[in-house]
Amino acid sequence: MQLSTSEISELIKTRIKDFSTSSESRTQGTVVSVTDGIVRIHGLSNVMSGEMIEFPGNTFGLALNLERDSVGAVVLGDYEHITEGDICKCTGKILEVPVGPELIGRVVDALGMPIDGKGPIKNKLSDKLEKVAPGVIDRQSVSQPVQTGLKSVDSMVPIGRGQRELIIGDRQTGKTAVAVDTIINQKGQDMKCVYVAIGQKASTIMNVVRKLEENGAMEYTTVVSAAASDSAALQFLAPYAGCTMGEYFRDRGEDALIIYDDLTKQAIAYRQISLLLRRPPGREAYPGDVFYIHSRLLERAARVNVDYVEKFTKGKVKGKTGSLTALPVIETAAGDVSAFVPTNVISITDGQIFLESDLFNAGIRPAINAGISVSRVGGAAQTKVIKKLGGGVRLALAQYRELAAFAQFASDLDEATRKQLDRGQMFTELMKQPQYAPLTVSNMAVTLLAANNGYLDDVPTEKVLSFESALHGFMASKYKSIMDDIEKTLALEEEGEKKLVKAIEDFKATNTF
Amino acid sequence: MAEISTIARPYAVAIFNLAKEEKSLSDWSAMLALMSSIVENKDIKLFIQDSKVLDVDREKVLLDICGNQINNSGKNLIKLLVEYKRLLILSEITLVFESLKADDEGAMEAQIIMAEKPDEKMVENLINSLEKRFDKKIEGKVVIDKSIVGGTKIIVGDSVIDASVREQLDNLAYTLKA
Repeated sequence: MQLSTSEISELIKTRIKDFSTSSESRTQGTVVSVTDGIVRIHGLSNVMSGEMIEFPGNTFGLALNLERDSVGAVVLGDYEHITEGDICKCTGKILEVPVGPELIGRVVDALGMPIDGKGPIKNKLSDKLEKVAPGVIDRQSVSQPVQTGLKSVDSMVPIGRGQRELIIGDRQTGKTAVAVDTIINQKGQDMKCVYVAIGQKASTIMNVVRKLEENGAMEYTTVVSAAASDSAALQFLAPYAGCTMGEYFRDRGEDALIIYDDLTKQAIAYRQISLLLRRPPGREAYPGDVFYIHSRLLERAARVNVDYVEKFTKGKVKGKTGSLTALPVIETAAGDVSAFVPTNVISITDGQIFLESDLFNAGIRPAINAGISVSRVGGAAQTKVIKKLGGGVRLALAQYRELAAFAQFASDLDEATRKQLDRGQMFTELMKQPQYAPLTVSNMAVTLLAANNGYLDDVPTEKVLSFESALHGFMASKYKSIMDDIEKTLALEEEGEKKLVKAIEDFKATNTF
Repeated sequence: MAEISTIARPYAVAIFNLAKEEKSLSDWSAMLALMSSIVENKDIKLFIQDSKVLDVDREKVLLDICGNQINNSGKNLIKLLVEYKRLLILSEITLVFESLKADDEGAMEAQIIMAEKPDEKMVENLINSLEKRFDKKIEGKVVIDKSIVGGTKIIVGDSVIDASVREQLDNLAYTLKA
């Protein structure tokens, strides 16, 4: 902890100046019992729901249950030193976390305290953890894309700025990989990112942070960590804390992306708190309001209109819309999407990316099931060029799935069916993409155009990916101007398409794949 | 599991209402004090908790101890508590009853904590302004506590008005640490 001497004197000066005038009026209570981080308190007649309560030793708690004779509170952090009979007091404050650009590049805990050893955060502002989402008047429909850099996502389940797209799948299916790749691809896209790790191993979180650093993504990313060893209360609060940090950018006319990895763990932490608070258990022992904890969180991810931003910034930012895009992650058990929490979050979000173990094990990574993955609003936000070229992928894969069962009778099939099967296989192979290797829009466009126009039909399936990377290399060296054009306009006119087709033909003629 | 005070409240409210009807608040106050002090006795507690003792004996012993210091209603209360096996919450019932009684009389006790003995006039002023603030009759009780260093700390029920030097120092220490 570093503190300059001037700061100390300044502080003391202001404190001493105020000294004679400040007296504190509050209500206090007595701790009756402490059980697994849940404290029961007698007294505190004026306490508000969600108010911070101060315990001895600068420990804080959150009042969650207001009962006739007692208050049930959850301790934020260590609770071993709190004993029966301790006096605790109301603070009159609702939980707040630091917000602002100072948090970028930092790793913080659920209360916004730095845990990366890079010194204190010199934030100028802090904001409430729980806020109400913008209303209908303040919103605008989703119309700008979030480029994930993943071929399969951007072409088949496009995500728009302000959308909530669920990433769902069993353990070990690459859910975090999709999320982290998306963050990495936001470099230079004017997007601030928040990665909220809930209930994960500290080593896993460290790996993610390291990968983000290696790829230069920490320059625009904040990591909020509530590891598996942190108290259930912190794991429950972490998503709200991250959301508040993301909202800072949304409300000021910027774009932000937040990843909740994962909300299943948050629901489990909340279940623990609720059961210890003796709230009645419901389905799968979750409390009655488990839907609401997720809906009120995800509702805060939104695209807000110009008026909202202008009003919020008191006219300082004009003519800009803000957005907070959320990618919540849900872990299913043995592919059971009809469990309580997965169905809840599926119904709240604007679409989902399904990842499957079978596909993952078959080497199709990202293991996206194209059949049941959908994006309900992203289509309106997709870049023109990908929208134009990406339609074929979905169709080819859908036809392939229908015929896939006949694949084993390949020799007995007619020509047309066999061709369709081959094409499906080619597209399946083409949708594979290594981790930490996001593609630019232009590269994606070239790949899709080549595949759509049948230039890949005579390429052996196992060579499809090497064809693709060689094509990208060729385009970058020989036809850079066309590629730059696509990057700039994000569209492909007839003229440009002709040029691109010509370039692909040139590449095929070289036979260098 | 409900809180003890939640269980005790209906009994206390019933006794309070009865006492008010019969205009015997102070009688009940004395009776409850006696009963709870008996129940608090270590040997009696063991006797009440002993599962081999019959309810009839429990009732008889307690009534004998109280003798003629309690009236018929008091005796009925003991019988009721024996029947519902709630004898051990008598002290909690007494507490809730007393707070109801104090509320009714409009009196509250204020603990005035100071580092040094204040003069009478100052305490009187303080009590006057407290009475205005809480809109109740305040019974002041001055406590001398050197640990608050200076200033005053007033505790009325569960509200605290803290203008002590100790509190300010603690706050300052916290601000500097944060």
